[in-house]
Amino acid sequence: MSILQLDKAMIRFGGLVAVNEVSFELNKGDLFGLIGPNGAGKTTCFNLITGVYKPTSGEILFNGNKITGTPSNKIAKLGICRTFQNIRLFKALTVLENVVVGGYLRHKTGLFSALTYLPSSIHETERLKAEAMELLKVLNLDHVASVRSADLSYGMQRRLEIARAMATQPELLLLDEPAAGMNPLEKEELLKMVKKIRDEHGMTVLLIEHDMRFVMGLCERIVVLDHGEEIAQGPPSAIRNDPKVIAAYLGEAV
Amino acid sequence: MKFWVIRILSIVGAILACEWIQSVASHQNDYIQRMFILSGLYVTLAVSLNLINGITGQFSIGHAAFYQVGAYLGGYLSIHYFKAAGLPPLVWLVVTMVASGVAAAIAGFVVGLPSLRLRGDYLAIVTLGFGEIIRILVINTPALGGSYGIDVTPKITSIALVWLLAIVCIAVCRNLLKTASGLPFLAVREDEVAGAAMGVNVTRVKVSAFMLGSAFAGAAGALLASYESFITPTTFGMDVSFIILTMVVLGGTGSITGSIFAAIFLTLLPEYLRSLKGPTGGPLSLTGGTVLGWMVAVVVVVAILRYIYGDGGRPKMQRLYLTGAALVIGGIIQVVSSLLLNKIGLLHDKQIVIDQLRMVIFAVTLIVLMLLRPQGVFAHHEFSWDWVSRIMGRKKEAAV
Repeated sequence: MSILQLDKAMIRFGGLVAVNEVSFELNKGDLFGLIGPNGAGKTTCFNLITGVYKPTSGEILFNGNKITGTPSNKIAKLGICRTFQNIRLFKALTVLENVVVGGYLRHKTGLFSALTYLPSSIHETERLKAEAMELLKVLNLDHVASVRSADLSYGMQRRLEIARAMATQPELLLLDEPAAGMNPLEKEELLKMVKKIRDEHGMTVLLIEHDMRFVMGLCERIVVLDHGEEIAQGPPSAIRNDPKVIAAYLGEAV
Repeated sequence: MKFWVIRILSIVGAILACEWIQSVASHQNDYIQRMFILSGLYVTLAVSLNLINGITGQFSIGHAAFYQVGAYLGGYLSIHYFKAAGLPPLVWLVVTMVASGVAAAIAGFVVGLPSLRLRGDYLAIVTLGFGEIIRILVINTPALGGSYGIDVTPKITSIALVWLLAIVCIAVCRNLLKTASGLPFLAVREDEVAGAAMGVNVTRVKVSAFMLGSAFAGAAGALLASYESFITPTTFGMDVSFIILTMVVLGGTGSITGSIFAAIFLTLLPEYLRSLKGPTGGPLSLTGGTVLGWMVAVVVVVAILRYIYGDGGRPKMQRLYLTGAALVIGGIIQVVSSLLLNKIGLLHDKQIVIDQLRMVIFAVTLIVLMLLRPQGVFAHHEFSWDWVSRIMGRKKEAAV
């Protein structure tokens, strides 16, 4: 069953067509890769899906419903959440608080009960904190729960981004270069972690990544973009040998 | 059950505390009472602006406008409807406070809307413009007295109510930060795009912050109107907005504790300086040489302190000794340079009364604090009992 469908999605910034009629489809439970050279429009694709930009033309369907032009926060509520290529944590907040923000959209009490500090609001806060703590354990961040997120190491900040996105309990998780700047050991751990997220938490994952070993080892299907155009689509083995992809991105084997 | 007992006790405690402040102040003269009222009002204003500026990160510098909306509405209602309503004065005051708060919240909603599209400096310009628009509207409205202002009758003074409002304002902000509902506000401050991607309704957060913050400023305005019994548009000029902003920044943007202390400090400092007496009993006056001597000393001490604290690598005790040394050096420089400078006839003969200097001292205090501690006195920290017990605990250990 298709969970996300891009149907000829196109966005134009002035004279530049950043994403040109890209179409692909994700099935529930997919580990899907989005690759291509820098400036190919991968992150712009994410921005279209999460409602940061509205496509100039084309449609985006989530679980069969049109989400084209829906604001970001509503898309997060529908069940799509993302991480950012250039880490965008809430820097002054602690690790735990960052994750609680992610869980906040399942918060049930209103602002009034918070301002008057009613028991319902206190319990809700406790519940969200406990949930966030569980999630931090999954991503092996529980020992730094009360550290300011800006003070974390780079790899940990990347993991925290994933934890924060997972806290919204999305059906579809978009990871924008999750392994960037990680050492081989951390990448190996991340690979296992993403697999676990899919297998144990039942999330569908769409990820952008430049590390080919990472992508090829993880993803079951891949779409390749170049200059905003989709140039190939298929399983890793086919992508690896696709002449167009080799010319545009992978390069010839030496 | 236990929760509600504590809750009721704390509410009763807050009311008793306000009554106590009132009873202390009522034995004093009018001037001291005025200080009690103004510092209470400024605490409300600073804490409510901190909600908008510090916690939600929306750079608003038109807070006096909401104060003005509240004051004029409160004043207008008192003049026209107090007799008709036939309520006891205190009850009436609460009614005008609520009405003014609602009116200011509506004004806050109107200003909050542009904040959805604007950030940083641009929003600051819009809020500044809004403040001026309100002031000029009032000047050109004969029904509100124009630039003459209006006489508000009856004059109702309640120090207890002023401080109760301040305490409610503080409690509301603290509650917000204590529960998960405060996190979306902080998230909007930290990163709007990331916040929205996590499902935070940025529009709602910003508008709620503006409405809440301005409601408290409006209620404070109603109290001011009934206390002053005479308000003019100049009471709410840009300088008031800037002083409130200064309180927020000086105390540490985002820290409620900081806003409270800075509000009281900055309200009382100029007044305290005004009341300083010279050796003969008249107002304190200094010669030009002495004033210049102080300035030289301040510059030198600040330079040394910046050097000491600049690299952050020194052990604590060493920093303490060096700070002491810097102050001693500053004192010596002050004495010596004053003596030398007063040898110049022109500087020796020029007498400057402290009253003329108080705004200069006010400004120098701000500059020095910003040089030595740009993040504000309390930075992002809040007062907590843990903190007190930790300091007390350390003292006890030291005693043993």
